[in-house]
Amino acid sequence: MTTQDLAATFDRLLGPESAVATAPMLALGVGVLAFLIVDLFRTLGRLRPLVFLASVGTSFALELRILFADEVPGVVLDGSLHADHTTAIWGLLFLAGTLLAWIYSAGYYRHQDKPFKAEHDALMLTAPVGMMLMVGAGDLIVFFVGLEVLSIPLYALAAFRRARTDSVEAGLKYFVLGTFAAGFFLYGAALLYAATGHVSIDALAAADLSSPMALAGAAFVAASVFFKVSVFPFHLWVPDVYQGSPTPVTALMATGTKAAAFGFLIHAAGILPASAAGTVAAIALVTMAAGNLGALAQEDLKRMLAYSGVAHAGTLLLVVAGALALEERTAALNAALVYMAAYVFTATGAFGLVALLEADGDRFTKLESLRGLARTRPGTAAALALFMLSLGGIPATGGFLGKWFVFSVLVDADMVGVAVIGVLFSVVALGYYLRVIVAMYMQPPVEGKAPPTTVRPLTAGVATLACATMVLLLGVLPGWYLGWLG
Amino acid sequence: MAELLFYVLAAGTVAAGVGVIACRNPLFSVLSLLGAFFCLATIYLLAGFPFLAATQLLVYAGAIMVLFLFVIMLLNLGDEEQYAERPPFGKRGLAIAGASAGVLLLIAVFSVGFGSVSASDGDSPAVTSFPDESIDDVQSIAELLFSRYMLPFEASSLLLLATMIAVILLAKRQRGSGAEGAGWPWKKGVEQ
Repeated sequence: MTTQDLAATFDRLLGPESAVATAPMLALGVGVLAFLIVDLFRTLGRLRPLVFLASVGTSFALELRILFADEVPGVVLDGSLHADHTTAIWGLLFLAGTLLAWIYSAGYYRHQDKPFKAEHDALMLTAPVGMMLMVGAGDLIVFFVGLEVLSIPLYALAAFRRARTDSVEAGLKYFVLGTFAAGFFLYGAALLYAATGHVSIDALAAADLSSPMALAGAAFVAASVFFKVSVFPFHLWVPDVYQGSPTPVTALMATGTKAAAFGFLIHAAGILPASAAGTVAAIALVTMAAGNLGALAQEDLKRMLAYSGVAHAGTLLLVVAGALALEERTAALNAALVYMAAYVFTATGAFGLVALLEADGDRFTKLESLRGLARTRPGTAAALALFMLSLGGIPATGGFLGKWFVFSVLVDADMVGVAVIGVLFSVVALGYYLRVIVAMYMQPPVEGKAPPTTVRPLTAGVATLACATMVLLLGVLPGWYLGWLG
Repeated sequence: MAELLFYVLAAGTVAAGVGVIACRNPLFSVLSLLGAFFCLATIYLLAGFPFLAATQLLVYAGAIMVLFLFVIMLLNLGDEEQYAERPPFGKRGLAIAGASAGVLLLIAVFSVGFGSVSASDGDSPAVTSFPDESIDDVQSIAELLFSRYMLPFEASSLLLLATMIAVILLAKRQRGSGAEGAGWPWKKGVEQ
């Protein structure tokens, strides 16, 4: 390649489209670097929240710019990255989830003697870059790098409360199993490449993938992504890891990782054969059963939410099954976007309130200490009740809208039986969500078990209000959001 | 001749791989791993990828091996008694898992077919013939890295940065709290 060729290549690659498409990630990357510099000086330490907010805010604005632009960048960097309305909405969801988790983390670590808050925030800022790479990935290599950019910060953040055995255990479990899953992904990608000669997702979807080697590769890739979204039988790590991790990190793990991996799964559904729809639907139903039945048995709110996260992954996997069965994938994609939007705000809010209750000790997240919460902390109880209703899919909340879209995709895909079983599992789920509400509103407080009312950081209140508003907005007035989807 | 050498090396790789998990002394495991890396590097060389072979030796046999050996020496893992414990799940479960993975792989291998690596098949271009030699020189790799694969290449730098921060976060000694490793739950037990 001559110098002129090289210059031409760079001109082609680094045009304005590439800049627009990568700008949201670059804003976050610059934020991470700024964090490291700011943290060097004691006097600048106070700027840290500002750097975080500026970085996330800039990235948010840049995603909005893609969303509202007449011409989207489309596929840039020689097919490495997609940037369109869909990835912009995913990006906005990731940023919102990260921002809310960060706000909830503000007062969370005050009992830890040396919080290392700068490293915590820098890692939290890195995670959404990984998520954006995952949903925007044009080929398997970009997806893999994105997966690692997301996972490695989360491994470290899970073990963030170093003085506690359960946190270190969570980090180690997540790390060992996560790297194992990453190895599976690489192996699967290598087999797919060996069978077809492609790593690009579009080329793979168009290629003939019927050879056993390609099928094994697709199965390995699917298995590793299933691990990340905690689908049966790869969900066994979830309760321990979600419970041991610091709660704001759990919120990010539950919402962000799930959203990014499902965004990829629906985009890359073409890699799996259409005949896999039945299998995927079966896995989804078993996942819903495992999550819901596991959650029914829990006495601890955080662990219950972890199992509930597994159940929600099952519901979303039904969308993937629908996407496999349908020729036209737009409906499935929109269903996933609506469902995930509701889940991001609901689950982040619910985990955030757990973080708030946990401030004075882990024992306050037990169901029995929630009794009578409506009398002692009416605001917290009302918000938690709203989030529980949304997780359960009661009308007028975002959760209902999400479920409605998911099941309508299934009906379109002629999977009515699956949809009926899925709805039945959603009813089972109400059993444990309503238990929380009953405890808060209809049972008297237990002496000495109720959480003290001393700690109420303003920041957490703002974040809870934002989550609750979004849950209601998506449930009652979803028109603007559905308008974004087109 | 080259084909015979390939089978010898492939068998050597598998044997060394088995050695990694079968040896009870971690030091021997590491040395088996080294053997596996050398065999792999030679296979790359045979297939006409000298740069890949050199990188494999430099990165894996060089840097990573030294790291492994360092960790083993520092942590004094030579004592095999503590590894005598078996994993909690039964041998039957392991056997089922291993057998199913093996069957899956055999299917994959037979779907390509032994010896058909260079046969022209038509619908699987990557394995039909080895790519032109020009792919393996440093310049073409660099050109690909900075054009088609620019995004993953640049994103990897962020990945490395995040990894560094993560490692520092986990390994940093907590100042002012006394003994080395203070703040780790298992070290507390030792101090008491």
